[in-house]
Amino acid sequence: MTPMDKVLGKLNLTPAGILGLVILAVLPFIPPFNQEYMIRWLISAALIAAGAIAFDFTAGFINIVNFGFYAILGLGGYTSAILAVNYGLTPWIGVLCGAVTAGLLGLLVGLLTLRLRGIFAAVMAWFVGLALMGLATKMVWLTRGPLGLRTPRLFETASNIPYYYVMLLLMLFIYLVCSWVTSSKVGIAFKAIGQNMDAARTSGINPTYYRILNFTLSCTLAGLLGGFYAHYYGILTPDIMHTAKTVEVLAVAYIGGRGSLWGGAAIAFPFILAMELVRSGLSNLPGLNLIIYGLLLIFVMIYYPGGFAQFFDTYIRHPKNRALNYFLNGSTARA
Amino acid sequence: MPERFLSWLKSAAGITILLTIFLAAYATIDRGPYILVNTAITGGMLALVAIGLALLLGVMNVASFVHGEYFMIGTLAAYYVFTPLNAYLTENPNPFLTNLAPLIAILSAAVVGAAAGALTEVLVFAPMRRRSRENWVMNSFLLTVGLAVVLINAHLLIFGADFKGIVRYWPGRPFTIMDVFISRDRFFAFLISIVVIIAFWLFMKMTRTGRAIRAVSQDETGSLMVGINLTGILIFTMALGCSLAAVAGASLLFLYPSYPTVGLEALYMAWFIVILVGLGNIIGALTGGFMVALLKVLTVEYIGSGWDFVVPTALIIIVLIFKPSGIFGSEVRGALEK
Repeated sequence: MTPMDKVLGKLNLTPAGILGLVILAVLPFIPPFNQEYMIRWLISAALIAAGAIAFDFTAGFINIVNFGFYAILGLGGYTSAILAVNYGLTPWIGVLCGAVTAGLLGLLVGLLTLRLRGIFAAVMAWFVGLALMGLATKMVWLTRGPLGLRTPRLFETASNIPYYYVMLLLMLFIYLVCSWVTSSKVGIAFKAIGQNMDAARTSGINPTYYRILNFTLSCTLAGLLGGFYAHYYGILTPDIMHTAKTVEVLAVAYIGGRGSLWGGAAIAFPFILAMELVRSGLSNLPGLNLIIYGLLLIFVMIYYPGGFAQFFDTYIRHPKNRALNYFLNGSTARA
Repeated sequence: MPERFLSWLKSAAGITILLTIFLAAYATIDRGPYILVNTAITGGMLALVAIGLALLLGVMNVASFVHGEYFMIGTLAAYYVFTPLNAYLTENPNPFLTNLAPLIAILSAAVVGAAAGALTEVLVFAPMRRRSRENWVMNSFLLTVGLAVVLINAHLLIFGADFKGIVRYWPGRPFTIMDVFISRDRFFAFLISIVVIIAFWLFMKMTRTGRAIRAVSQDETGSLMVGINLTGILIFTMALGCSLAAVAGASLLFLYPSYPTVGLEALYMAWFIVILVGLGNIIGALTGGFMVALLKVLTVEYIGSGWDFVVPTALIIIVLIFKPSGIFGSEVRGALEK
């Protein structure tokens, strides 16, 4: 075991994962991906990928569907944007404030609902999201409502490439945080709660505490993403909080494989690019891409609950070839 | 009897109902009787949707996110039945048929809604149930999310995004009750909701099938043991619940023209009611429909439209803090906890 392997093992990354990141990093220079619209698609794919990781952290481990994910993300974005517009705070700090605000809201929602059955948290988060969207639309003096709040951008260039790298780093950061937590002792408690709450409780785990911890962390990460969203697009409308956006992240996370963290991120890129191609190519058939989304989600839920990650683990992960096995699993490879 | 009544008054249900009546009376004196009329009409329809949702929760243990889409299917079916009928009747006037046409439209919407519901059960929930009962509540909830996305966008793809509405169902002068003008459509919508609710209640209490449905909601294994055809009951329940939503959608076509996301508001409101009164509580959903309608009317009246989500959310937070099982509590709590 080389020192490199140790570092990778600690970070829960495999050589294959590193290769994927390197490919993503050089992608904006390879035709046909070096055009501006392609880079914008890549950024939105990375945003969805990062969102799917943070979403799966809750949905895949403690089995709570955060149905107001994008509303909480939007709250982070609005906090950062309002601080920047009204008080001239630099976006780099504002993003952190946004994350804290989103985390606080997550904590409140969690305190309120996570002692109850899971469906309460889902519906409550949904209602909080609707209320937030209503507030963002109605409090025109603060948010400029549907007209949209103009926000300062992170970089003063017209190029999208710096944003792409920030987004990739953010995605990697979110993955590292989530995988670090889930591979620690706390993560075992999360899994226990998600699989069988009564058994977990019998073993002395306080489900409410761990669920709130998980939910709050996931919401904080969402707030972080929201800050990026606000300062990347340069305009923020209440539409960011719409349930449809949450459904998009939800579909990617579940099709990618619940409880795997990396599954959603891995399929987000090909998936979002394909969806954008369908949408722009077949613009005379509106809604077709979303129908594909919905059908895929239904299909995966019924016939293949583990999603892409389960497929990968069953058929691809453990090849006979030792070099390939090392490549896919790192030094922790099973013989 | 008086003692039981007094203790009921002190319970959460009693306090809330008293408070609602008081609020309604105050607003009626303050702003005029139209508040009461609006509440009754909205309430009846909300109750229809919420009863369907509560039925699915109580009997099938499905937390449906797709229920609003059956409302949408109802509006769509009624539109495509009523428009040609209306066109025919303008060419060949026939007073009897003119009064009958809306009923035909609403009835066909009910049939289409029931068919859609039965199909959903057969194509989506039954395969899911066969494969895994683990984490059923959450998984079925996600299934309905996917289904909602599919149905909304199928409407967009096939029928387009434009508003498909009608001017009115029943022609003629509006009625006057308590110095308030009520259009015939609104009056009949209220009447339909009351008739359907009574019919539904009688069906659940008096018929064998209704009893079987209630038995399944209490204990699935037990109902299998006494020889109830579980598959049939599940299909029938789904059809019934969806049909109620479709009737609500069809009766309100004159207010809400059919477009892809027309069902969302109905869905929000129905969920709000169901959480408020307690998951799966059907009688509670009926009462809750009128209470939430009053709340909605008062919010729009005193605070302004657009706040209709903020006020309910605040209220739900209060309910969840003090009485998480809902104002009326839910009788079928056990079924959901599996």
